[in-house]
Amino acid sequence: MSGSDTSGSVHVDGHGHGHGKASSSYDGAGAPAPAPAPFQGHRKAGSGSSDVPFLLRSGGSGGDGLRRCLGLIDFVLRVAAFGPTLAAAISIGTSDERLSVFTNYFQFRARFDDFPAFEFFIVANAIAAGYMVLSLPFSAATIMSSKATGVKLLLLICDTIMVGLLTAAASAAAAMVYVAHEGNLRANWVPICLQFHGFCQRTSGAVIASFLAVFVLMVLIVMAAFTMPRRTHHTAS
Amino acid sequence: MEAGEEIEDGEPSTPTYKAHHHPPHLPPPMRSSGVSLVLSVADLVLRFVAIGGTAGSAIAMATTSETLPFAAPFVRFRAEYSDLPTLMFFVVASSVVCAYLVLSLPASVVHVVRPGARSSRAILAFLDTVMLALLTASASAAAAIVYLAHRGSARANWLGICQQFTSFCQRITASLVGSFAAAVVLVALVFLSALSLARRA
Repeated sequence: MSGSDTSGSVHVDGHGHGHGKASSSYDGAGAPAPAPAPFQGHRKAGSGSSDVPFLLRSGGSGGDGLRRCLGLIDFVLRVAAFGPTLAAAISIGTSDERLSVFTNYFQFRARFDDFPAFEFFIVANAIAAGYMVLSLPFSAATIMSSKATGVKLLLLICDTIMVGLLTAAASAAAAMVYVAHEGNLRANWVPICLQFHGFCQRTSGAVIASFLAVFVLMVLIVMAAFTMPRRTHHTAS
Repeated sequence: MEAGEEIEDGEPSTPTYKAHHHPPHLPPPMRSSGVSLVLSVADLVLRFVAIGGTAGSAIAMATTSETLPFAAPFVRFRAEYSDLPTLMFFVVASSVVCAYLVLSLPASVVHVVRPGARSSRAILAFLDTVMLALLTASASAAAAIVYLAHRGSARANWLGICQQFTSFCQRITASLVGSFAAAVVLVALVFLSALSLARRA
């Protein structure tokens, strides 16, 4: 129980788990030294030399705890954005409604593949859901090392592409849903939602979920832009 | 580390370079290095391109109006962009993005002159992302409606109106091109901002 604080001057304790060398490199080192040491300190309970929680450690530069906190939020938001995209793709993919009315001239069945906009919506949401899952290890890598500029830049670029793709799919589906709800007087388009209630509810809910995922992605981009670490080509002094 | 030591001597000091850890061969901080100058100038040029794209597509869509020469008692034979609310949204959103790009030109010029301005670059990247989302949403919603106008939908018994209104359809299809090109340019602008933020200065 050394009662160490976040100022970087950590003293080795008599309970000697060999943390001495790792802890004394706190004083001026960059990222790799603090990164393994906090983990060891966190897991071995009562080890004494570092019982500061993971988020509050400060490594090389000040404000590192804030950066780790934002990195964790980034990770959680990626997991959170995976849900709506997958749910939207699945719910439109399984939308199929048949009416019990029957005439000679009108077909009373609605499915997603009658509308190419919904097909595009399913594909784009599936791509976005897969991207969210695949970007989780990269996001974890940016938490571990605070100088990972290249990974963070790659994530920001791919997030921007995903925002464009997902927004395009969600708004094309939203345009179809709007026409299905309201119809159009000039073009003589009858609103089909008057008959197909379940189909319309499903597609509307899926579009809303997709826009939620777009909003989460934009928050991720903003966080990455504001906490982008500088790439240092040569160390100071 | 060195900031405290150099003041101890009695001689006049030039603290700026040493205190900011600049080795002596780098230029003073006000001038930008080659790559970040290229990035900032490319940002400015791409903004002009995007202004052209959005303005062109908004104007092309807003000046559509076609009247067919014959008349019938139940069907109206005049097509305008305001008959389809999605196209109205497209014109409004394109105009908003165009106005934003014009207003962000001074900020981009400031970034050419002062490459060290990180917060304003981050804010500009955030606003670029918001405008990208708005432009992509309006362009792809209009694309869905234009597709319906061309093909119709067999299931929903919606007829494609392009069979009668050919020049109206050509115009609204062509105005989508400028808008999608401007969206790609906005993506490139966000990339450039991210690259500039990740550089050292």
